[in-house]
Amino acid sequence: SERPALRALIKVSLLKHEPTGKPIILEGVFVGGSAGKAEGKLMQYHPLSLCNTSEDERQESDFITIVKLEHRVPRCLPLLDKARMALDKGAQAVIFDVSDDTNAAAELRETDSLPRPVVLVEADDAEELMGLVNKNEEANVVIEIKMEPKWPHYD
Amino acid sequence: RQHKISGVSSGCQQGGCLTCSDYNGCLSCRPRLFMHLERIGMKQIGVCMTSCPPGFYGTRSPERNTCTKCRSECDSCFNRHFCTRCRAGFYLHLGKCQENCPEGHVRSDAQRECV
Repeated sequence: SERPALRALIKVSLLKHEPTGKPIILEGVFVGGSAGKAEGKLMQYHPLSLCNTSEDERQESDFITIVKLEHRVPRCLPLLDKARMALDKGAQAVIFDVSDDTNAAAELRETDSLPRPVVLVEADDAEELMGLVNKNEEANVVIEIKMEPKWPHYD
Repeated sequence: RQHKISGVSSGCQQGGCLTCSDYNGCLSCRPRLFMHLERIGMKQIGVCMTSCPPGFYGTRSPERNTCTKCRSECDSCFNRHFCTRCRAGFYLHLGKCQENCPEGHVRSDAQRECV
């Protein structure tokens, strides 16, 4: 039977707010056999920026890429290649907002060869993340595996 | 939640888009315009332009016209292989930016060229 997809906890701390502020906790799903921990500054990439390996901007610090996928943007590359390209560009992890691209989840679930975490988000979790991006609210993101509660033992 | 197509909202405000979305800006451009991916802090949005900004060159193709970054040692260029102005510390010779000039030429810091 198909192995259940591991869920991801996405902890978002706003950089311009006092450090005591509680992080925003969101959820997603790991894909590509890449479940694990990652941390970095949230950085949006346009879907068309992951089409070729042209000379690109280099980020100074560790960063986590977020890409809002759109079904109206013709796929220049398979999603797996886009994920790999984002990781090759130095991302510690990649978050895909698949709210508006329902095929994306299926496309990425068929593989498990990605070297670092790739997470899918949608609906409210995606809306919150993209809302921060839209307001240019600099944020640090920590991605972890969500530990599901173990079934209690009935003796 | 229907995204406004070419409606007035944060991502779609500038003209030239054929399709656009709130978060990604332009997704495709009107004919002949170049798609430039502009970094604004943590955001990166698509912008449609008649010509690419300094430091980028335009490439036309059937699917889309795009702005691509010049090589790192190059401040402005015609294309990937032909630079027109070098970054400080590099000198232009036959469209290439080099740290040293070939024999018979000297470095001009003012023009950043081998003269």
